[in-house]
Amino acid sequence: MSELKNNKNDLSHVQKIIIILWLSFVMAGIATGVFFSVIDPEALRGCVTFPVMSRMGVYTVGFLLFWLLTAASSLLTSYFLRGK
Amino acid sequence: MSHLKVKVDQKLKDEESLASNVGHQKIYSKEAKGRFATLRIWAVFALLGLFYGLPWLQWDGRQAVLLDLPARKFHIFGLTLWPQDFIFLAFLLIIAGMALFFFTTLAGRLWCGYACPQTVWTEVFIWIERWVEGDRNKQMKLDKAPMSAKKFRIKFTKHAGWIIFSAFTGFIFVSYFTPLNDLAHNLFIFELGAWEVFWIFFYGLATYGNAGWMREQVCMYMCPYARFQSTMFDNDTLIVAYDEKRGDPRGGRKKDSDYKAEGLGSCIDCHLCVQVCPTGIDIREGLQYECIGCSACIDVCDDVMEKMNYDKGLIKYTTQNNVDGKPTKLFRPRIAVYGLIMLGLVLTFIYLMAARVPLHLDILRDRNAIFRETNEGLIENVYTIKLVNMDEEAHEFLLTVDGLEGLNMELEQEKIVAQGGEILDLPVRLQIDEADLKQRSTPVFFHFQSTDKDGLMIEGETRFLGPRQ
Ligand code: SF4
Ligand code: SF4
Repeated sequence: MSELKNNKNDLSHVQKIIIILWLSFVMAGIATGVFFSVIDPEALRGCVTFPVMSRMGVYTVGFLLFWLLTAASSLLTSYFLRGK
Repeated sequence: MSHLKVKVDQKLKDEESLASNVGHQKIYSKEAKGRFATLRIWAVFALLGLFYGLPWLQWDGRQAVLLDLPARKFHIFGLTLWPQDFIFLAFLLIIAGMALFFFTTLAGRLWCGYACPQTVWTEVFIWIERWVEGDRNKQMKLDKAPMSAKKFRIKFTKHAGWIIFSAFTGFIFVSYFTPLNDLAHNLFIFELGAWEVFWIFFYGLATYGNAGWMREQVCMYMCPYARFQSTMFDNDTLIVAYDEKRGDPRGGRKKDSDYKAEGLGSCIDCHLCVQVCPTGIDIREGLQYECIGCSACIDVCDDVMEKMNYDKGLIKYTTQNNVDGKPTKLFRPRIAVYGLIMLGLVLTFIYLMAARVPLHLDILRDRNAIFRETNEGLIENVYTIKLVNMDEEAHEFLLTVDGLEGLNMELEQEKIVAQGGEILDLPVRLQIDEADLKQRSTPVFFHFQSTDKDGLMIEGETRFLGPRQ
């Protein structure tokens, strides 16, 4: 995709950060969906100790952690792709 | 295609050098009225009506569409899906993705112009903006004017309108996950849960930012679909295009003048098509990836053509082949392939849905001992069977086991009855005479058969472990 290559260097920093946040948001959403459809936070209660939280709370925190992870990955990738 | 690509790339370079010099400029798009604008208004009302309306609908004493995350159940009218049904959701998403491929090849960015949430919500935000600030000229004048009490009041009203609408949108969004009645009730007694507040705020903010501020930039810089859709295009895809042969050379002229004699084409170079464009491009330069196919330029140019007494359709929905004077083919290999894959997926989905048994079985072995010897000298294995009744109604079951000759089963319950939506824990003991054991580990099968509903059954496999042979 030549568009992507052409564009990359011409985006402003804000635009880049928004792109990183947005795409990692999408990925974190998918990851959260898959993860919590397999794992029920209530079932983890016995094995892992974490602060008492409703399922909604665990989902939210889980999603935010996933987002942190995917965003960090995208950020690092884009940083090292600068090639300078 | 190659011809198309060249144009796109050339245009892109011009745009980019411009963009990198000046940054993204605010685009003031003029209101376009016409056939397609009307169609979009209908689409906005239909889609947003659905979004804002669905949570109010009741079904069987509960919210008709409720993705009850706290209870880990999705209610969609009569159907209840459990986490165990994840495959159906995955299937639906894949089908939706495939449908997007199919329709993109066929109809280009029809999705973007009429159905994308970004478009639909932006449209509403533009209505609010126009309602408060006035039309394009008034908006531009207002933005140029120095800050004054009046300007502040107008801007304040606009943002207040946007924010109220966004907050309501966030509220409705969360009501897909927490029943609307509870949510509304808790809102009025100021006892909303922290997580609900977080998500209302989050979704509201995203709406406000995307539809109020970012708008076409979402399409141009953020949307993955906008990036990938060009690979699904071919020369028979429906696009918005300017008829260059007919329109050029462009130029101003008096109405009813013999423009052909003056050496002009049909385009009067009024720039209205540029002014209405929400992404700020000039469609007369050829197809560009920023074009979201909103057809505002078609509407406005048709208007111009009508006023000039020319034929409509200088800008229109057409195909690249048509522009090049070649015939357009509706059926082509690509369409057939996408179509067949989609058909296959849909049929599989329907089959899976029809064959879905609303039961789920988990068989857990006793963690403490592999096996034990009973007082009578029998080898015993202990299991806990989790039987999930995903149906709405209660059912009674008959449990049988096979796989080993001479196996004896001991159950604590006399009757196995699972209420609708219940997860039943059944401790089960299996015993056998050591002489009947041929191997250390033998597969055994549990069968649950409903006594009150034909065909409602489920089978699960586990192992029976004994001493080394
Ligand atoms: S709106 Fe039509 S006539 Fe006016 S500049 Fe655009 S193409 Fe030409
Ligand atoms: S050029 Fe594309 S995005 Fe711009 S007004 Fe026309 S159809 Fe809409």
